[in-house]
Amino acid sequence: MNDLALLRAHTRVAFLDLVRWPGYVVPTLLFPAMFYVLFDLPFARRHAGIADVTTLSFMAFAVVGVALYQFGVGIAQERGRPWERFLRTLPAPAGVRFGARIATAMIFGILTAGFVAIVARMLTPIDLSWSQWALVAVYTLCGGVPFVLMGITLGYWASPRAAVPLATACNLLLAYGGGLWMPPDDLPGFVAKISPYLPTRQFGDLLWSVTGYAHAAPAIAGLAVYAAIFALAAAIGYRRDEHRRYS
Amino acid sequence: MLLELQEVSKAYGSIQALRDVSLAADRNEIVALLGPNGAGKTTAIEIALGLRSPDGGRATIFGGSPRSTAVRRRIGVTPQESGFPDMLRVGEILAFVAAHYPRPMALHDALADFGLDELAKRRAGALSGGESRRVALALAFVGNPELVVLDEPTTGLDVESRRRLWRTLRRFGQDRCVIFTTHYLEEAEANATRVVVLDRGRTLFDGEPEALRGRVGRRSVSYVGANGRVAVRPEDADEYVRTLVRSGNDFSDLEVTRPSLEEAFLTLTGASE
Repeated sequence: MNDLALLRAHTRVAFLDLVRWPGYVVPTLLFPAMFYVLFDLPFARRHAGIADVTTLSFMAFAVVGVALYQFGVGIAQERGRPWERFLRTLPAPAGVRFGARIATAMIFGILTAGFVAIVARMLTPIDLSWSQWALVAVYTLCGGVPFVLMGITLGYWASPRAAVPLATACNLLLAYGGGLWMPPDDLPGFVAKISPYLPTRQFGDLLWSVTGYAHAAPAIAGLAVYAAIFALAAAIGYRRDEHRRYS
Repeated sequence: MLLELQEVSKAYGSIQALRDVSLAADRNEIVALLGPNGAGKTTAIEIALGLRSPDGGRATIFGGSPRSTAVRRRIGVTPQESGFPDMLRVGEILAFVAAHYPRPMALHDALADFGLDELAKRRAGALSGGESRRVALALAFVGNPELVVLDEPTTGLDVESRRRLWRTLRRFGQDRCVIFTTHYLEEAEANATRVVVLDRGRTLFDGEPEALRGRVGRRSVSYVGANGRVAVRPEDADEYVRTLVRSGNDFSDLEVTRPSLEEAFLTLTGASE
C-alpha cells in the first residue's frame, strides 16, 4: 500500500465527485474564457502584443478562481461532514488527503487556464513560441501556490455559508485590482496605487514577464511573501479546526 | 489485547462524558457496548479510534496508537452517520476504501454480504437511508481487517438487513474481533460474547451476557394452581419449585423465567443513582 497508489485513489475519488457536477464543471471551465471573450477579445484581436498579455491575464484569473473555490469553498463545506470524519479513520496519512486536493485543483486549474489559451489561439493573433508556452505553464502552476494557500486559509477560517461570497469577493476584487481584467495602467488612481502590492498583480507580472511586459524577479519575491503569510494562516486555521473538532 | 482503553476520562465543558472507563477486547470476541443515549458509547469509540483525545487515561489498538497508519490498516470502521459524496457510485466507494488495505475482500463478496449487488452502480446521492447504512457497514469489512468497530450498526436497518449483518458479524468474529455499540438490549444479548454496560460515563458492568442477567439474580416462577395463576419471584427459585412439588398440591403450566436483560439493565442503572 504505497502512498502513491493511495494518492491516486484519493485524487480519483475527489476528481470524480467534482467532475460529475455539471454545476461545478461548466462555470469553472467556461467563466474565465467567457470573460476573456466578453472583455478583452475586441482589443486582443487587433494586436498580437495585446493578445499575449490579455490571454496570460485571464489564465492567471482562471487559476486564482479554481484555487479559491476548490480550496476555500471546498474545505469550508466539507470539513464538518461525516465523510471527512470517516476518511480520518482510514489508514492514509493526512498528507495524502491534502495531496489529492492539490492534484485535483491542479487538474482543474490546467484545464481552465488551458481553455483560455485555446480560445485565444483560435480567435486572436496571439504570438507565443513553444518555449514561451512551456514557461507560461511552469509559471502558472508555481504562481498559483499562494492562491492555493489563500484558499486553504479561507476554507479553515470561513464558515460554510460565508465561504462562497467571500471566495467570490476575493476572486473578483483581486482580479480587478491586480489588473487581470484591464491593463494596470488604466486602473483608477487609488486602485493603481495599491495594485502592485496585490498577489494577483504579482501573478500577472510573473506571467507577463514571459513576453517582456514585466519583470519576473520582484513578482516572484512578492508571491513568495504571500505564500509564506498564507501558509502560516492556513496552518493556524487547520490546527484551530482540528482542535475544535477532534479534541 | 486488540483494543484497550485504560481509565479513560473525557469531559465536554461541564459534562463528564466518560469517567475512568476501562475496556479491553481480544481476538474471538464480539463486544457490545451497551447503554442509553448519552451514556458515552460514541465518545468511548471515538477515543479508542483516536478521533478524540482523552483528558486522562490511554487508548491503544494492537498495543499502538490508534492514529498510526500501521494500526489503522488492521481496523475497519463504520461511520455513525452516513454521508457519502453524492456523485460517487457505491462500487467506487467500496473500491476506494478497499485500496487502503493490504488484503481487502473481493469487491463482489463485500457487495453480496451486505445485499448491495444491485446497487454497485448507484450513486451515493440516490441511496435510501437504509441502503446508505448498508454501504457504511460494508466499508468497515471491505478491507478485511482484524478488528471491526461499528457505531450503532443496526440504526436504520430493516429486519432482513439486520439478520444479514449479524450473520456476517458472527462469521467474521471468528479469530478476529468486533466491537459494536447499541442501545438495544436484545441485540447485545443475542450477538455479543461480552457486554459492557455504560451509563453516564461509567462502566456499570463488564462480562458475559449470562453474567449480566445473573447480577439481577432472581428468576420468577409462575404456575396455575387451584386458585388460578400464581406468579412469584422467590429468593431461590430452585428451592421454591422443590417445595412446591413436595407439597403434593396440584399445579400445571410451570414456568421459571430468567430476568430479561432489560430488567438487569434497569437494576444496574438504578443502582448507580
